[in-house]
Amino acid sequence: MSSPSGTIPLPVAPPLSSSTIRLPGSALPPGAGAEPVRFFARAAAFLRLVIRGALLQLVTFGFYRFWLTTAVRRHLWSHTSIAGDAFEYTGRARELLIGVLLALAVLSPIYLGYFILGIELERVRSFLSLPLFVLYFVLAQFAIYRARRYRLTRTIWRGVRFWMTGSGVNYAFRSSMWMLLVILTLGGAYPWRAAALEGYKMRHTRFGNLVGSFVATGDELFRRAGWIWMIFFCPVIALVLGSLSTLDTVEPGTKTALIIFAVGFGLALPSLPFLWLVFRAIEWRWWANGLRIGGVRVASDLGRDAILMIYLKFLFFAVCIGMVGATLVLMAIAGVSSHLMAPMGKLGKAASVSDLALTVSEIGGAAGLVLIYLVTFLAIGVVQRFYLQHELWRAVAQSLRLDNLDSAANVVAEGVPVGALGEGLADSLDVAGF
Amino acid sequence: MSISQAEASKDRAIFFDGASGRRREVTLTFDARLLLHEGAAELAAWPYSSIRVADAPPGKRRFRSLEAPDLARLEVSDGALADRLIAASPNLHRGTLTIATERIVLWSLAAAVSILFIVFIGVPYAADRLAPLVPLWFEKRIGDAVEGQVGAIFGRRLCTKPEGRAALDKMLGELGGAAGLPLPQAAVVASPIPNAAALPGGKIFLFEGLLRKAQNPDEIAGVLAHEIGHVVHRDGMRKLIESGGTSFFIGLLFGDVTGTGAALFAARQLLEASYSRAAERNADAFAIETMQRLGRSPAPMGELLLRVTGDERDRPLPLSILATHPLTGERLETLKRAAGPAAGPPLLSPQEWDKLRAICGS
Repeated sequence: MSSPSGTIPLPVAPPLSSSTIRLPGSALPPGAGAEPVRFFARAAAFLRLVIRGALLQLVTFGFYRFWLTTAVRRHLWSHTSIAGDAFEYTGRARELLIGVLLALAVLSPIYLGYFILGIELERVRSFLSLPLFVLYFVLAQFAIYRARRYRLTRTIWRGVRFWMTGSGVNYAFRSSMWMLLVILTLGGAYPWRAAALEGYKMRHTRFGNLVGSFVATGDELFRRAGWIWMIFFCPVIALVLGSLSTLDTVEPGTKTALIIFAVGFGLALPSLPFLWLVFRAIEWRWWANGLRIGGVRVASDLGRDAILMIYLKFLFFAVCIGMVGATLVLMAIAGVSSHLMAPMGKLGKAASVSDLALTVSEIGGAAGLVLIYLVTFLAIGVVQRFYLQHELWRAVAQSLRLDNLDSAANVVAEGVPVGALGEGLADSLDVAGF
Repeated sequence: MSISQAEASKDRAIFFDGASGRRREVTLTFDARLLLHEGAAELAAWPYSSIRVADAPPGKRRFRSLEAPDLARLEVSDGALADRLIAASPNLHRGTLTIATERIVLWSLAAAVSILFIVFIGVPYAADRLAPLVPLWFEKRIGDAVEGQVGAIFGRRLCTKPEGRAALDKMLGELGGAAGLPLPQAAVVASPIPNAAALPGGKIFLFEGLLRKAQNPDEIAGVLAHEIGHVVHRDGMRKLIESGGTSFFIGLLFGDVTGTGAALFAARQLLEASYSRAAERNADAFAIETMQRLGRSPAPMGELLLRVTGDERDRPLPLSILATHPLTGERLETLKRAAGPAAGPPLLSPQEWDKLRAICGS
């Protein structure tokens, strides 16, 4: 199949996507069979969508989130295309709403059981019930799997549905066991956990009658990103060295050396957030390069700097908005208190401030503060959706190329849409993804 | 295949039949129904009334048909052709599971109002009715769990000097007798915090710090009577039901909107404060009644509270609606108004009072 890029007569010229410009040293040469993934970035339209969504969330007490999530997904899916054919998201907000109601029905008895079991454990020994939070983690893993399944069965390409087999319970078990290993190894086992879980997800992923797989390995991720894990140990090492140096048994010379090491490691601390971002970039690329569906191979040349810039821009705007919000709150508090103080101090009419006026200004002040607070966080939400959803999606999508796409030309449609219980659980447990 | 030529042609479109992923170039014929031909073969015939829109990328239009497989899609790139198809199809947007925004807003408001109604009226009402129905043995189990945690936090350092204990029991006996109750259970915790608390299940904790701040037995007796009031009203259980119910419904309202964690917390604080203000007033009323029955004045308790918290009436910040306890000044007025001459015998002798204050051995 010939590459259709540039040949599709669009009324509006497609944006110059970085995927058409190959940098030297990229993962795959611009081979004949490699099909780029295109993302038609319409930043203004997306921003309009999320700003409108944020305002509607404000007046709907947050209920609009189901519609906003759906609108965002529909936008991103339909603006992403492979070989000239765009994806389609067929999920609807009403399904998410029903999912949340179902999740409530599932969670209510669990919460009650949790409460009673917690009391019984506390009676045996104080704080013995703390490990019960593990239940939430396991439940969240189940939710993540089932939510992915919902999203996938609403993802359509060329009139064929993606879908998923496998079991959420099985996945939750695997994920939790791997998490235990990650904790025991102080994070060292993370790459293998990521590979194992993505492997499970992809092995059970289907596009029509094509079976997915995941070929990236934990070794690979560790080779690329293990150094970051080592640096993440600095605080721990600094702590250990620092406490060692206070011991009397250590020789003075060794002690000085230890202190110098500890200070050095301590100074490395501020770089940790950036290292984390670098790790995310490495992980995204590692992940994308491991994806397979049938005979189709996915390759990505996702740039580390691009991802870093997206996160930094998000942080910059979020911090700016946060500071504006905080300033407004402080000004409002100062205004209200000076309003209350003024008559007493300057005019000597302390008695004239009636209780009613006090209550009115109290309620008005509180309402104003709440409004500023909500608007601030909704604004941060807009920035977050723009950078961490739209821009991240754009960067990842445009970095992808598909090899051997012809093998998917005659795929047979299979699979049925599943309910949104997983999405509802994810919403209730605050682990909702895209 | 040469896509560019096919799509440039005025009656050409791309068709996916929903059974396979094959990309087919079709010719559209506007007959009695919309006919889709691949070469000479007729692939589908869609009644115009069955045609609906589907999401499409910029510059393209996508259509589906209720009479075709669910995922069959017709993709039209040519603007004029798409317009012609749109003009011919009367029901393009019917039944596409989309809801008008105004209706979403309206129903959200209705849901929010009903949730607020539940939280402000339903939950306290339910807690009032349910708290007395919770079996005492169950409440005691909760109390034991809380007591274990209190013990773990404050190091299980209960003060048990025998003479002090005897004085405390004497005072508790008087208070219990006046209220018509068996001997209330209370213990003194060795902690400098000036406070007292009633746990679910009826156990009362008096913190040593409060004993240090107290100047006479009536002050402590008033506080104990207040806590006994909480026990009698089963406020611990009620609080548990109220806060559980409130978090559940407020969580339902806000879901995971970014940053609502803090808003949620604030809303809960506000609600719990309003619940507990009522509970505190009732416990005060109980304390007043009990002290009056013993012929002692309830006013000293107010003086002790004032000494502990300072006069909150002087604070200018608009935060009094957030206060868990009613303004101490306001409660002080109530307690003062109820004050009468001390007609009854003192609850403790000066010696017993000294022993009680020294119960922790300092």
